Amino acid sequence: MKRLIRDNALALCFLLLFLLSLAGQSAAGAAAFSEERVAGGGSPVTWADYVTSSAFAVDVAENWQSEYLQFFLYILITVWLVQRGSPESKKRGEEGLETDAEQKAGRHAEPGSPAWAAADGWRRTVFSHSLGIAMGLLFLLSWLAQSVAGLAAYNNEQLARLEDPVGWGGYVTSADFWNRTLQNWQSEFLAVASMVLLAIFLRERGSPQSKRVGDPHSRTSSAG
Amino acid sequence: MGIRATAVVCLTLVAAGCASADDASITATTERFLSGAGQGRGGQACLLLAPEAARSLDECERQIVSAGLRTGAVRGVDVWGDEARVRVDGDTLFLHRFPEGWRVRAAGCEPRPGQPYECEVEA
Repeated sequence: MKRLIRDNALALCFLLLFLLSLAGQSAAGAAAFSEERVAGGGSPVTWADYVTSSAFAVDVAENWQSEYLQFFLYILITVWLVQRGSPESKKRGEEGLETDAEQKAGRHAEPGSPAWAAADGWRRTVFSHSLGIAMGLLFLLSWLAQSVAGLAAYNNEQLARLEDPVGWGGYVTSADFWNRTLQNWQSEFLAVASMVLLAIFLRERGSPQSKRVGDPHSRTSSAG
Repeated sequence: MGIRATAVVCLTLVAAGCASADDASITATTERFLSGAGQGRGGQACLLLAPEAARSLDECERQIVSAGLRTGAVRGVDVWGDEARVRVDGDTLFLHRFPEGWRVRAAGCEPRPGQPYECEVEA
């Protein structure tokens, strides 16, 4: 058991942080939502009502979609673009999908390689892009969930303001949808650009996300 | 039918059941409110107003009867969470779901392009 926890400590740590943060968001969100309701002449909501509401769902989904988009684009773009000096990047000249020999795919697969890495045809193609596909699908599903929950929350607010509700098509072309979407995207892109650039010149000793302390600034793609 | 398909069907039925129960309750509240206001039973109508809307009228029972609200058949109900819009012949009403049930937040409402409805009675 101890070994299992230690072997998976990184994932478990972040899953625990995720659950604690989500619980905190739900409690704070319910309180804020109730305050708004009472101020607008409505009735306060319970925590259970809030966590099953479209208002909570859209706030959660809009953040999820942007995180998955960030990883999806990062995984894909770093195949083709490099950043000299960044441990997050491949070296110049290594851009692209690389050869089967470099990727240990097809007949270059090793005894311990996953079965689909050695397989021919669509299975190897799918497995070769499975991380990007998974992140891309999670992004699209989260974004769809944001649009559906956002529509319900938006129409609830519309009716509370004595205005007509809109359809899904009207909502996904509305300022509310794109404001929620882009305010999350911009922060993700800034964070990635900051990480790529700062990691050229700064170090975090012992972190695989950083270069080794003594590595020159010009060294690309080295973890320590 | 697989477990997932069964679950989807059950959820759809539950959602449809909730929606139709809401619609029936909203329609009943609207009809009782409009018949009270239209037939001189101001007390009945005022009991079905949201507290803020009732407070907006100095003498609710008298003013709600003289507000000129039209009684008509319910033509459509749109429910989004705890808010609803009801279209009746010649009128639009907005309702809010309180712990004690649906109550009328605004009645006698006319649409205005690009702006909220203008209502005879509103919270």
